[in-house]
Amino acid sequence: MARRSKIHVGLEIGTSKVCMVVGEVKADSAVKILGIGETKSAGVRKGEIYDYSQARACLKDALAKAEDASDVEIGSVFLAVTGSHIQGINNRGTYRLPEGEKVVAPEHIEEARTIAREVQIPQDHVYLHPIIRNYWLDGLEHPTSPTGLFGKTVEADFHIVHGIGSRLQNSIKLVREMPLEVDDIVFSPIATARMALERDQREGGALVIDIGAGTTDYALYLNGVITASGCIPVGGDHITNDIHLVTDLPFSKAERIKIQEGDASGDPGRSVGTARLTDDRGYAEVEVSRATLNEIIRQRLEETLQLVRKRLPQGSVEAIGSGIYLTGGTSLMRGFSELAYDVFKRDIYRPEMPEISGVRSSFKEPRYATSIGLIRYAQILDSESSSPPGVLGKIGGMFWPFKR
Amino acid sequence: MIPYSRDPAKTIPPTSVKIIGLGGAGANMLERIALDGMEGTELLALNTDIRNLGACIAGEKIQLGANLTKGLGAGGDPQLGNKAVLEAENEIRAALKDHKIVFVCTGLGGGTGSGAAPIVTRIAREEGAFVVVFATTPFAFEGDRRRDQAEAALNELAVLSNALVTFDNNRMGELVLAKQGIHEAFGATDQMISESIKSVIRLVVRPGLINIGLDELMTALKTNRSRCLFGSGMAEGADRASKALRSALASPLLDEGSLLKDTQSVLVHLCGGEDLTLFEVELLMQQLSKHVPEKAQVLFGAAIDPALGNSLSVTLISALPEEALAKAPRKAISQADDDSPLVKKTASQTKSEPKANPKPEPALQAEAPRKEPVSEAPSLFEQEKPFAEPESHGDSAEEKNVSPLPEKRPEGAAPWSQKNDPAKELTPLPPEGEKQALNSKPTAAELLARFGEEENESEDEPTAETNPPEPMTSSLPMAKSEPISGSATQPEDKPAAIISPFKAEPLDPKPDKDDAAIPKLKLGVKPAASGSGSDELSLDSSPRGRFEGEDPNVVDGEDLDLPPFLRKKK
Repeated sequence: MARRSKIHVGLEIGTSKVCMVVGEVKADSAVKILGIGETKSAGVRKGEIYDYSQARACLKDALAKAEDASDVEIGSVFLAVTGSHIQGINNRGTYRLPEGEKVVAPEHIEEARTIAREVQIPQDHVYLHPIIRNYWLDGLEHPTSPTGLFGKTVEADFHIVHGIGSRLQNSIKLVREMPLEVDDIVFSPIATARMALERDQREGGALVIDIGAGTTDYALYLNGVITASGCIPVGGDHITNDIHLVTDLPFSKAERIKIQEGDASGDPGRSVGTARLTDDRGYAEVEVSRATLNEIIRQRLEETLQLVRKRLPQGSVEAIGSGIYLTGGTSLMRGFSELAYDVFKRDIYRPEMPEISGVRSSFKEPRYATSIGLIRYAQILDSESSSPPGVLGKIGGMFWPFKR
Repeated sequence: MIPYSRDPAKTIPPTSVKIIGLGGAGANMLERIALDGMEGTELLALNTDIRNLGACIAGEKIQLGANLTKGLGAGGDPQLGNKAVLEAENEIRAALKDHKIVFVCTGLGGGTGSGAAPIVTRIAREEGAFVVVFATTPFAFEGDRRRDQAEAALNELAVLSNALVTFDNNRMGELVLAKQGIHEAFGATDQMISESIKSVIRLVVRPGLINIGLDELMTALKTNRSRCLFGSGMAEGADRASKALRSALASPLLDEGSLLKDTQSVLVHLCGGEDLTLFEVELLMQQLSKHVPEKAQVLFGAAIDPALGNSLSVTLISALPEEALAKAPRKAISQADDDSPLVKKTASQTKSEPKANPKPEPALQAEAPRKEPVSEAPSLFEQEKPFAEPESHGDSAEEKNVSPLPEKRPEGAAPWSQKNDPAKELTPLPPEGEKQALNSKPTAAELLARFGEEENESEDEPTAETNPPEPMTSSLPMAKSEPISGSATQPEDKPAAIISPFKAEPLDPKPDKDDAAIPKLKLGVKPAASGSGSDELSLDSSPRGRFEGEDPNVVDGEDLDLPPFLRKKK
């Protein structure tokens, strides 16, 4: 199967949209997007499904559109999940080789891994991804498995993503009802990072912030391995809601004025005068002082970024060398880069879509970052299972992630 | 209640309102007004430039100086504009005949605007109209010459017009984003002017239970050298009073209501359907009093308009002296910046204060001798006559046209000339101080009390008493003049109580508030807005919009679903 093209489907059930991307991974591992099925979602809040019947209808619609656009019959998908219940933690498992054994054997490593994965997680939580970060042999770091080397102590560093089992199961159930098979479920920021970051960017240290409608997901990579990931249940919807609460504009108008007029840069020059929405005849129907509007937006986004910053391990922001990559629909907010720079004092980038071809240029929109990231994730997973683990083992390091 | 139909003659039909756009800028404003659809009012465009005039959409057009400029513009020369308009004087006079209110919209600084506006205003006044001038003043970068021209014209207009509202082009930037196109900036100004005109017309045209007349309007606008603060809102359903007020305060001209903190007088006009209750009125006025300084004079009017159904509309009109608006001293037009330290304290106040008051004064004085109870003319407002009176003096002065005619005014018009001076130099402070003493500033409480009284009256003696107090009738000038509310000089019953010696007091809080106003904008108004909305409806302490009813999204002790904008302020 290694040498022929394969079709993967990424599905993201987001707060604002349900998005299904059909991608073809060619034999030369180039990715081509065959089609996107996108529907405005309903019944999803802060990244979590709360109304299953509505969400099901949206998913059906997205599936139909994706099949239509790509001319592919979709049988299974990679599902991105998010929600504030999902957390990423780091844990290290240490295994001391038994007396008399000098050389690290595969079963020793397996033992270390098992120990590392036995992290204390709440009762109702399940593992989503145990991602191997690296191995240590007698205090020395080994990016790859130290099998066959001499040593006494083997340690395995894991980044473990876990979340509430019932909610994740419900997401899977929803997809299976389509009926679709779920190839894998992936924590959204990890999928996004697959798309947003190249290997050298991960090596240099990079933070991906995917700020969508309902959640802000982040994944931090230092020295090429994932160091932190998580989700803050705040997104673009909150800005709209803030505008609604402060100015009493209805949601639809608050949303429009946010998109058309909002600015998060905090530049006083952009907070002069009044922001207006004009109706189709050109008359102003809604007016909000720009100072107020921009302040509402800035304070919300600043707080959100500060929350991300606070959740990152101590000193890790300083270690970010490549920069911070902003993606997700809300990252389109004017002045967001300036704000992010003010908070993190690191270089701010918008990720470029790497080597992906397709029929629509709109794939470049940050809104699709996660779904396309899923294709990349699938591609890497695929190449790992087909090629011997080793070089890519560190990057992928995926195991069957979902355990019940 | 005895049914009583209002004498239609006491109201002003919209057809007797004329809006004049003078010069190129005036034509632009006129266009915006026409687009906004002001039914019934007549639009008249005056210009020297025939091409510009031809493109204008006004119903009537008069070319100025057909022989003089030959259809070209005035070339930035006010003298030329002046002569040009004199050429067409008869035509203009004919066009303005029988109009009760004339709005003159113009951009000062150029030839036609600066040169012709005073003449047009004078002609309108001579035709017996109440004249409100809306003028824009040039940008600072247009140079001193244009500024001086505008300044000279402004001084004249201050004397000639009944009310003068200036919009400083330098402030246009505040209306739009720095990046926005220049046409949008001009468009925004035009729209603002058009909205102000509309509300003024609405207010004056519609007879009220508690009427608001042009005298109150003048008091609120303080006639000149002030920026007009204007906001209006409409709401229906439960809690409509506070909703309407909130949206009125949301007007950009009011800066979320914070600018009201500096005003001396505010005109509030309430219009509701037949189910308007006294309780709602009270509620609204109570809320408004939080935004208005205690010492400010609140001119209150209420009207019933069955067409409004079950909605309620509120219009707030006030004016701030230019100086009060300038947080950082701006050059351009406001001259207070250059004023001697002598003036320091009073400058901001006095400059506008005396202007408000002198108006009623000459009115009253002039009234007695005048006596022209011709049936239609008197149906107008009292002011019409009193102003016609000073006019005759003004004319003689005016004949020498461009000269800034200050001293010419005899007795009745005395305050006018004083007012004129400060506009130019701000020198004669002492007399203004006296004026200030005369000026009665009822506190909010007093006003409410007074308002209550009037309400009672209206219930007891439903008809005759409530209507005549308004300046719409002229048969008994003295009796009428009394209720010209706070600003009246008649020491009769209610006003007398209100004339309390405030004098200096209103001055002091001013400078402080100037600074305080900006931070307050964020602190004060917002929580009030959200708080008041939730008071009755939700059991929760604070509304959470679309996240209502969800588990609190608490991180670090803060509910993330609430706007940080509100949370961080506490």
